[in-house]
Amino acid sequence: MSRITLTDLSRSYGPVEVLKHIDLDIRDGELIVFVGPSGCGKSTLLRQIAGLDRPTSGKIEIDGRDVTRVPAADRGLAMVFQSYALYPHMSVRQNLAFGLENARMAKDEIEKRIQEAARMLEISAYLDRRPGQLSGGQRQRVAIGRAIVRNPTAFLLDEPLSNLDAELRISTRAELAALHKRLGTTMVYVTHDQIEAMTLAHRIVVLRAGRIEQVGTPLELYNKPANRFVAGFIGAPRMNFLPASMFPGSAAAEIGIRPQHLRRATPGETGLKTTVVMIEALGSETVIHAENGGQRVLAVLPGQQQLSPGDEIALAYDAKDLHPFDKDGLRLP
Amino acid sequence: MLVAPVGWLARLFDPPLRALQRVGGYGGMAVFFLAPNMLVFGIFVLFPLVLNLVYSTTGGAALFLGDRSFVGLAQYERLFDCSNYLDPKSCAEDLFWTAVWNTAGFVVVQVVLMVVVALVTALVLNRELKARSFWRAVFFFPVLLSPVVVGLIWKWILQRQGLLNLGLYELGLTQVNWLIERGWAFTAAVGVSIWAHVGFYALILLAGLQAIPKDLYEAAEMDGTRPARMFWRITLPLLMPNLIVVLVLVLIRSVQIFDEVYVLTGGGPGTATLYLTQYIYEIGFASHLRNPGLASAASILMGGVLVVLTLLQLGIGRRNEARGKK
Repeated sequence: MSRITLTDLSRSYGPVEVLKHIDLDIRDGELIVFVGPSGCGKSTLLRQIAGLDRPTSGKIEIDGRDVTRVPAADRGLAMVFQSYALYPHMSVRQNLAFGLENARMAKDEIEKRIQEAARMLEISAYLDRRPGQLSGGQRQRVAIGRAIVRNPTAFLLDEPLSNLDAELRISTRAELAALHKRLGTTMVYVTHDQIEAMTLAHRIVVLRAGRIEQVGTPLELYNKPANRFVAGFIGAPRMNFLPASMFPGSAAAEIGIRPQHLRRATPGETGLKTTVVMIEALGSETVIHAENGGQRVLAVLPGQQQLSPGDEIALAYDAKDLHPFDKDGLRLP
Repeated sequence: MLVAPVGWLARLFDPPLRALQRVGGYGGMAVFFLAPNMLVFGIFVLFPLVLNLVYSTTGGAALFLGDRSFVGLAQYERLFDCSNYLDPKSCAEDLFWTAVWNTAGFVVVQVVLMVVVALVTALVLNRELKARSFWRAVFFFPVLLSPVVVGLIWKWILQRQGLLNLGLYELGLTQVNWLIERGWAFTAAVGVSIWAHVGFYALILLAGLQAIPKDLYEAAEMDGTRPARMFWRITLPLLMPNLIVVLVLVLIRSVQIFDEVYVLTGGGPGTATLYLTQYIYEIGFASHLRNPGLASAASILMGGVLVVLTLLQLGIGRRNEARGKK
């Protein structure tokens, strides 16, 4: 059981304010993902929760207990590092046992926990190997195993998949989701990859320059982005942002529309008149880079399109798919 | 602009180089280019080494080889002519065995203290200190000094009417004959040597400490590791490759100890700080009982010990390299 509450949390390094007045309630058992561009403060926020860094102001509570000044080891949390941070001179078994030995746990209990975790993560065959003798994926499992054996109240994962190749990342992502379902423990997950965030999270926290831009379920963020930044960050390819003057009758300063929500206009249908600049034929879909009066427009069209650079095409859309933003980039109703 | 004249100049060498290649072949060109270095190495390293070996098989006080008689292994026999190796007085060449045991004692104390002091220095310098770069420079500065300068500075401080005794006198404390009493002279020799070289070894260990990923300490912190256990279970094992390199380097340097101690104590009081290199120097060049053959034999034996230690260092270096590639 672990509910983590952050209240007015700030962290400064000298004059540089890295986290600015963060308020967040992480529910018990949920898998919450911090996402944002490099330098937005997501790892710093995770380190505050872990106790590896102290906030300049604000409060951190775990299950109602104020842990702001409590050492990392006494918070009951376990962390999986981006680099895995396995002790290279110890075997996998020793890596898993190290934290439990520190807690002076009985040897029988330590061995029992190691065997359980090893079975769950399918690393039993590697227990006597050193991290240097394992592949990236196996090391990643050991790092998760080291967190699991401690039976923590919450897992903190700092970009745990970023060192894996694309294929392994997809399969490990699914395994992590399954593991979370099985353990039911709160997980706080940091990534800069919005696809990872969308596929794993119950809720996503989008951060920018030390502030929370929006908190919501993946589809809430996709369908109703609170501002231009979230709209641009969530979804691939990136949302088109076009002047409202291109959309007759709109009172907004700018209109956002996702490339997937544009289609070729049927005869008689009105749409954005564009000139094709470049085509990316991906087989199942075609990404069209087009232009309208100096404005770049990206469209993802289904299947294979018979188009060439220089062709004129009209791109139609449904009004419900338009995202209006004011001059400050905030979403209009 | 510059390429054209350089190219023209380089082409001037083409004809003689082509002629050489015709004579010596492609492989012979490598020999041609290596020849100057090999010549320098031969004159200043290889030739003296062989000459030393030859000298060790000759007798008498004459310096020129033509004036010296061949004695075979007699010099080595003299060095090993002992009824009890632990008692130098029972040996034909008692000064040699005094120097051997003095050197052995110096090496043991020096190696242990140097490694410990270098490790502590590196650990302190690795912390978040104020003016950390300044402190690093302070510890490294003595390494830049010539050993003779080090010896003279400390002699000026430690001699009977030196700076330290002056300070003790001003404070109303008893003055100490730092360089005249056996125990203190040995302590001074070890202490000065540590002061002069610890910066270098601390730097090697500091580099090792900084190569340990910070993540490991954070993972250990999350694992609830206490500071002492962190040192013994994380820092020390991961620093071991650097520590072994330092250990072997200190070992080699301690066996070779000469200049700063010679300037500081001259080997005294009596023979209390007479070490092997000083013995070789004095018996070969400085003593009135000059015996270049005996000095050569002693230096060959010392060279043998250093070769073993160097091979040990190379072996460790290769093992570390192989482990790093795993």
